[in-house]
Amino acid sequence: MCFERGRMLTGNIQALYHYPVKGLTAQRIDHVRLNPAQGFPFDREFGFARHDSGYDPNAYKPLPKTRFLMLMMDERLAGLESHFDTETWQLSLHVQGKPLMAADLSTQKGRQETETFFARMFDMTADEMPRFVHAAPHRFTDVSVASEALMNAVSLINTNSVKAFGEKIGQEIDPMRFRGNILFDGWPPFSELDLVGKEIRIGDARAKITLRTRRCAATEVNPKTVKRDLPLPRLLVQHYGHADMGVYAEIETGAEIEPGTPIRCEGV
Amino acid sequence: MNETLKLRLEARRDLTSEITEFTFASSGDAPLPPYEPGAHLTLNTPSGNWRSYSLTGVNTSADRYVIAVKREEGGQGGSNSMHADLSIGNLIEARVPKNAFSLETAPRYLLIAGGIGITPILSMFFALRKECKPVQLIYLTRSAEDTAYLDALTAQDAACVIVHHDNGDPEQIIDLWPYLQTPEDCHLYYCGPAGLMQAIYLNSIHWPRSQVHSEDFAGIVAHSGTAHPFRLRRAATDELFDVPADKSILDVLRENGIAYESSCESGTCGTCRMTLTAGEVAHRDIVLSDEERHTAIMPCVSRAAGEEITVEF
Repeated sequence: MCFERGRMLTGNIQALYHYPVKGLTAQRIDHVRLNPAQGFPFDREFGFARHDSGYDPNAYKPLPKTRFLMLMMDERLAGLESHFDTETWQLSLHVQGKPLMAADLSTQKGRQETETFFARMFDMTADEMPRFVHAAPHRFTDVSVASEALMNAVSLINTNSVKAFGEKIGQEIDPMRFRGNILFDGWPPFSELDLVGKEIRIGDARAKITLRTRRCAATEVNPKTVKRDLPLPRLLVQHYGHADMGVYAEIETGAEIEPGTPIRCEGV
Repeated sequence: MNETLKLRLEARRDLTSEITEFTFASSGDAPLPPYEPGAHLTLNTPSGNWRSYSLTGVNTSADRYVIAVKREEGGQGGSNSMHADLSIGNLIEARVPKNAFSLETAPRYLLIAGGIGITPILSMFFALRKECKPVQLIYLTRSAEDTAYLDALTAQDAACVIVHHDNGDPEQIIDLWPYLQTPEDCHLYYCGPAGLMQAIYLNSIHWPRSQVHSEDFAGIVAHSGTAHPFRLRRAATDELFDVPADKSILDVLRENGIAYESSCESGTCGTCRMTLTAGEVAHRDIVLSDEERHTAIMPCVSRAAGEEITVEF
């Protein structure tokens, strides 16, 4: 058994999210089927590649996150409430709850409209137009550049770690800043960081924790005010000596999971 | 670096129960330096604190500087001393107007002002009207009695001025979305209290930044939750000063008996600019251009990004 200060690590899933389009809004999902060596369905399978990204739709290769529209550089994306239907490829954008635009990204016209919209929003010239790209079975996850296994890992956020960090800096931190797939509680703060290489169980699924998630300046953006208000990577280093929040896990045995599903450390 | 002017208060007029207009003329024979819409005037207020106020653009043809000052309950003293202690005929020190909120050439303009935020917007509005540019002004205040320059604005073409009073009732706050939904080729200029600034920021989040311009008169503080301590090195002497997380560079210099000229102390006026010779800076001002940031720092709000910076003062 895996113990932390004499206690077994048991917790529960609070919420599940995926991010079909890199950089755009989190989409809450009620339940998901995890499959071996696969990440969350549709997670970061779509993106808007910058004009000079070097992305070739016919020859996928992992690219650094800076080659796409993303929060670290384009923080105002956090102020667009987007929803992307992974079946129909309908994208809708809202601002403060009010509809801004909708487009069918399965059509050339819809893609063009959306690319033009983002180019305008970010003051890009006609030559700098970003391009809607679809990588499945690949993903545009930040760690896709590390390995294919990591590209297909799921990201976990222990909300107790986020809470403890918030208490440390005297400010509540919205766990949505960390854009994880599985948000869970019940484990002691930061206990997940010690489990790299270990197996955990998420309901009936088995997963191996493979990497601590080093945070970037994207987490500085407050999802509500859409402004950079807390230098979280720097504050993590100051208080904990590392810039990590959350972990990546590779799914070894699949299962259906949902909020409430127990999540526990299976053994050492 | 900052040319000083001597101004004489020629007239004062209460615009509302809290806002008073001050009209200054040159104290000598020399004409006042000109200014552009959006510019501000920095004054040595009777309290001894230097404060910046937007020029309203009223009476420019008569070679006058006109500002409107709101008395602030619990304010820093500068504005209240203007109300209490400045009489007609008094002389006051000022700096040549500066502009950190200038109008760019655009096909059309949307101007939004909240409360005393009307002052820079008013000067833009009058200038644009004079040039017959397409402009829409939205002016938000609590009530008609609280609305400075209401008469001057209602005398304008009604189609281009919307004055909205919310009567302090959140239910009556105007929905700005119809005006902000589609930016097209319009340029947006806005100024007002923090809540309005944030609401406009969020509702115009999809606008290209090249078309969005704002001035935050609440200013910026040097030691928000994101500050950390660092060392300040004086280039000429190599002296080191420790700047704790809850103090600005200016605070620390003052504690060490070094009087450095400053004004708004909120990163907006440019008075306390220092030359940066080494180290990386977390710039928090809204005065310096990207270019200038390589070699300058505003010590009222900006800090070292790392452990140490070297500056000249």
